[in-house]
Amino acid sequence: MSMIEFRAVSKNYRGRRVIDTLSLKVEARERVVLFGPSGCGKSTVLHLIAGLVIPDSGDILINGQLVATARKNLHEPEQRGIGMVFQDLALWPHMTVAENIDFGLRARGIPGKERKQRVKDMVELVRLGDYLNAKPGALSGGQQQRVAIARTLALAPRIVLMDEPLSTLDDALNVQLRKEILRLHGDLGFTLVYVTHNRDEAKELGTRTIHLRQGRIDQASDAGCAA
Amino acid sequence: MKKALWILLLVLVASGIALWRFYPSIGAPVVVVYVSHDQVFSEPILKDFQKETGINVRAVYDTEETKSAGTMNRLIAEKNNPQADVYWANEPIRAEVLRQRGIATPYVSPNAAGIPETFRDPNGYWTGFAARARVLIVHRDVNPKPTSVSSYTDPRWRGRTVIANPLFGTTTTQIAALFVLWGDERGRAFMRDLRDYGAKISPSNGDSADLVARGEFAFSLVDSDDVVNRVKQHQPVMMVYPDQDADGIGCFIVPNAVLLIADSPHPETGKKLIDYLLSKETERKLAFSDAAQIPLHPGVPMPPQLQPIESIKVMKMNYTEIAARLQAIQAFLKSWIGS
Amino acid sequence: MEKRLTLAAAALLLAVIGLLPVLAMVASTFHVDGGLSVKAYQALLVSGKQQMLLMGHSVLLSLSVTFLATVAGVPLGVLLGKSDLPLRRGFVVLFTLPLLIPPYVIAVAWFSALGKGSWIVPALTPATAELLTSALFGLYGCIGVLFTAFMPIVMLLTIAYLGAVNPRLENAGRLVARWPAVLWRITLPLIAPAILFATVLVFLLTLGEVGVPTFLRYPVYPVETLTQFAAFYDFSAATAAAIPMLAVTLAILALEYRLLHNRALELRAATFGGVYTQIELGLWRLPLFGIILSLALVTVVLPLAVLFTQSSSLSAFVEAFSRASDSIVRSIAFAVIGATLLTLLGFFCGYLIHNRTLPLWRSVDVLGLFLFTLPGTIIGIGLISLWNTPMTNAIYSTPAIIILGYIAQYAVLPMRMTSAILERIPRSLEQAAELCGASWYMTLRQIVAPLARRGLITVWAVGYVFCLRDLGVSMVVYPPGSDTLPVRILTLMANGAPSLIAALCVILIVVTLLPLGVVGLWPRHGVRRS
Repeated sequence: MSMIEFRAVSKNYRGRRVIDTLSLKVEARERVVLFGPSGCGKSTVLHLIAGLVIPDSGDILINGQLVATARKNLHEPEQRGIGMVFQDLALWPHMTVAENIDFGLRARGIPGKERKQRVKDMVELVRLGDYLNAKPGALSGGQQQRVAIARTLALAPRIVLMDEPLSTLDDALNVQLRKEILRLHGDLGFTLVYVTHNRDEAKELGTRTIHLRQGRIDQASDAGCAA
Repeated sequence: MKKALWILLLVLVASGIALWRFYPSIGAPVVVVYVSHDQVFSEPILKDFQKETGINVRAVYDTEETKSAGTMNRLIAEKNNPQADVYWANEPIRAEVLRQRGIATPYVSPNAAGIPETFRDPNGYWTGFAARARVLIVHRDVNPKPTSVSSYTDPRWRGRTVIANPLFGTTTTQIAALFVLWGDERGRAFMRDLRDYGAKISPSNGDSADLVARGEFAFSLVDSDDVVNRVKQHQPVMMVYPDQDADGIGCFIVPNAVLLIADSPHPETGKKLIDYLLSKETERKLAFSDAAQIPLHPGVPMPPQLQPIESIKVMKMNYTEIAARLQAIQAFLKSWIGS
Repeated sequence: MEKRLTLAAAALLLAVIGLLPVLAMVASTFHVDGGLSVKAYQALLVSGKQQMLLMGHSVLLSLSVTFLATVAGVPLGVLLGKSDLPLRRGFVVLFTLPLLIPPYVIAVAWFSALGKGSWIVPALTPATAELLTSALFGLYGCIGVLFTAFMPIVMLLTIAYLGAVNPRLENAGRLVARWPAVLWRITLPLIAPAILFATVLVFLLTLGEVGVPTFLRYPVYPVETLTQFAAFYDFSAATAAAIPMLAVTLAILALEYRLLHNRALELRAATFGGVYTQIELGLWRLPLFGIILSLALVTVVLPLAVLFTQSSSLSAFVEAFSRASDSIVRSIAFAVIGATLLTLLGFFCGYLIHNRTLPLWRSVDVLGLFLFTLPGTIIGIGLISLWNTPMTNAIYSTPAIIILGYIAQYAVLPMRMTSAILERIPRSLEQAAELCGASWYMTLRQIVAPLARRGLITVWAVGYVFCLRDLGVSMVVYPPGSDTLPVRILTLMANGAPSLIAALCVILIVVTLLPLGVVGLWPRHGVRRS
C-alpha cells in the first residue's frame, strides 16, 4: 500500500490542462522530488495531495484511503495528516515564531502545557531557540524557512510537502538547509514530496525524481541518495 | 483588533442609549401624523400639542410638492396597513383624493363649529382650517394693476406674466376649479391663451413671487403667504385679491385640511390632534407665523396684511368636483406643459 | 462546509434585503386595480415622447458629468497620487470632502454663494452675477455640482490603483521614454479597468440623482417622470416609470462587466503592493500647483466657505440644534448600526467574491453593484411594497426599515473593498491555517481579520459616511418621528431661513467627517510587507 497514490488524475485551470491523467505512487518514508520547468504542474500536484485543490478526474489515495475523486474532496485538508511548506512560506506576519508554531496545535485542541513543550522542542529542532518571540519580519530568509519547517513538523505529519522552499536563498544557505531537511527526515521519518527546478537540490534531496512536463510524467529516475 | 472591537462595541452601546433617549417611552400615548404643510410652520404647532397634552407626536413631513414619494403616496401605499392616524394636508384636494380611495374615516370635531361649510366635507371626512388665498402678486411700479385671473389673457400684459407649474400644488387646484366654474371649453381656451400670451412657467409659487419682486414680470398668481412674506421683507410688491367686483368669480381659497385615517393605530389620540388643529388658537398661531394663513373661524386675531375671510369674495367651490376635474384634466395639462 | 453555508447565507441575506424589494416593486406594476394588467406600462408608452426627452436630459447630464469627472479626475489622481506636488494629501482630503456629503448640500452652498446677501455677488458685475445665477439653475449648475460631488470617485480610484502598479513595469518603460509616455502607454492602460469602473459608477450615480436636479430645477427622468405620475397618485404607474431606469442601469452594468472582465485579470497581474515611483515635476511643479489650488478653491472651498459663513451666527446653530437635535442623534445612531451591519455582511459577501467559493459569486457582485446604482427612491418604494404588512410591522414601523435600506443600497461598498483587501493577503496564509486544522471561523478570526484590520476599519468608516449622508432611501421609508438629518434639512428647506439650513448643513458635514478623523488618526500597527 503506497503512502500517496494518484490514479489518472487530471486538473484544468481556465481551459488549460495543467495535470494530464497523472498516475504515480509514493511509498512511505520515501523522498520524492518533482522536477520540471515552470508551469509544468509541480505545485498543482502538491496542492492536490494536500486537498487544497480538487481533481477534475481520477482518484487520489493517502495511505490506501480514497481522499479525493473527480470534483470531490472526500477528506478535507486538515484530515489528511499533511504538512506543507509553501513557496512563500506563508508565515503569519502578525504572530511571533512561537505563535506561528502554536497555532496548529491549538487548532487541534492540544492542551496548553503540552503545546508549550512541543513549541519548545520544535524551535530547538530547527535551532531557533533565541527567536521564540520574534516576528517573521525580523528574521532572515533562512530563519524564516526554518520557522516554516518547524510549524509544519509541529503537528507530526506523516507526509510533508515542500514547494520550492529554498528557491530564494543563496547557495550557502541552500546547502545548509538541504542538510537540515535530510536530518529532520532521518529523525522523524515522514514521507517527503519536494518540488524544485534546481538540479542540485533534486539530486541531493530525492531518493527518486519524477520529471514533469505539461502535466505528465516525462521521466522518472532514482536520484543518488545523499546520506 | 481587540481594541477596535471594544471601541465599536462602545459606540454601538452609546448609539443604542442615544436612540432610547430620543424615542418616546414605551406605553406613553402616541399620535402619528403625516403632514403636507411646510415643516417649518407645522412642526411648532405639533410640538405645542405635544407639550400641552403629553401625547407624543410622530410626524412624517413632505419634502417638496414635486417629490414623487411624499406623504400622499405613502398614505396610499400604506392603505392596507396604515401607519398614520391623522393627515394634515395643505389643501383639500389631497384630502378629497384620500376620501375617494377609502383611506379616510369621518370625524366631525367639536372645534369645527364656526368653520364655513364650504370648507368642510359634508359627510365629515375632512375639515378645512387656516387658509391661503390665491392672489395676484403685483410689482409696485405696475400701473394700472391687474384685478382678475383673466388679466393673464389681457393683451396689455403679453409676455409680462408668470405662473407656477400648473401640474402641481395650488396652481393645479385653482385651474381645476376654473374648469369646474367655466366648463371645459372655456377652461381650455384660457390655458391656450395663457400660452399664446407668453406666460412664463416657473417651478413654484415662491419662484414666481421672486421673479415679480425682482421686476422681471408684472404679476403672478401665487398664494397669499408668498406675498405677505415678500412684503415683510420690504420688497416692492403688493397683494391684489382677484375678481372681487360684483361680476367677479371671487377669490379661490385653499384651506389646510385635516382628516382621520381609516383603521389607524391610534384613533383616539388622532381625534385629539384634529381637535387641536381645528382650534382658534392654532389658527391664530398660523396667521401670525410666516405661513400667514387666514383663519376660517370668525373673530380670530390676525396680522394687518391679511384680510378676514368674511371680507373676501370667495369663489364658489365644491372640492369634490374640483378633485374629480383635477384628475380629468391632468392629461391635458401634461400635454400643455409639453407644448 | 461551514464556510459554504455561511457564505451562502450571506448571499441569501443580500438577496432578501436588496433584491426582493425590487422584485416586489416590479411585480406590483403588473397588479393594477386588484388584477393583472399592463395598464401602468401602457400609460408609460402613451407619454413616450415626453419620457424620451426627459431620459435624454438625464443621459446628457450623466455623460457631461462623467466626461468632466474623468478628464479632471484622472490627471488629478496622477498628480496627487504619484508626483511630488506640494500638499498632496491636503488636496486629496479637500477634493474628497464633497463626496462625503449629500450632493444637494453642495447645491445649497452654491445657491447661497450666488444668492442675495452673499459677499461674492457684490464683487461681480450685475451681468456676470445674473449670468451665473441663471446658469446655476439648469443643466450647467447640475453639471457643476455633480462634477464636484462625484469627481473624487475617479480621483481616488486612480490614486489607489496607481499605488498598486508594479514599479518594475514602469521602470522598464522609463529606461526608454519619459514619464508622459510611460503614463500614457504603460501605467494608465494598466489601470484602465479601474478608471472605467469609476466612470461607470459616476455615470450611474448621476443618472439616478434626484436631489440636485430637483433643487436646481433641471427636468430629468427620475424626478420628473416619477413626479408626474405621482400627481395621479398612481403608484403602479410611478413604479412602472422607474423600469426604464432599471433597464438602463442593467445595460450599463452588463457593458462594464463585458469590458472589464478580462482586463481586471490583467490588472490583478500587474499589481504588486510595493513602493511606487514618484514623478518629479520639475519646472511644472508651481504652475500645476496653482491650477490645482484654483480648482480646489472654486469647486470646494468657495461654496463650503459661503455655507460656513452663512451659518456663522450662534443663533443659527442654536436654532439648528433646537430644531434638529433629535434627528442629528438618530442619524449618527442609524449610521453606526448601518455601518456595522454593512461591514459584517459586506465582509462575507466580499470574501465570497474574492474566493469564488460558490458559483453564484458573480451574481452577488452584480447584485451589489446594481442595487448601489439604483435610485434610493426606487429601493424605498420596493421596501414599502415588501415590508408594509401587518406581519412585518415590527420591521416596517421601526428604524429597522431604514437600516435595511442602507444595506440594500450600499452593500457593494464593503463587498468590493473587502475583496480588494483580501486580494492583498496571500492565499497561502489561509491555506496554511487550513492545513494546520483550524476551522474556517478560527482562520478568519485569527489570521484574516488581524491582517485586514486597518482595511476593515476603513470599510466601516466608508459605510458610516454613506449611511449618514443617505437621502433617497431614508426620505421614502423613515418611520414617523424618525427622520434623519439629511431628510430634516430637505423638509426644512421649504421656507426655512437660509442661515438655519446652512447651519444644519455644517452640522451634517461635521458629524460625517468625525469618524474619518478618528480613522485617520488610528495608529498604524500594520505589518511591513517586504
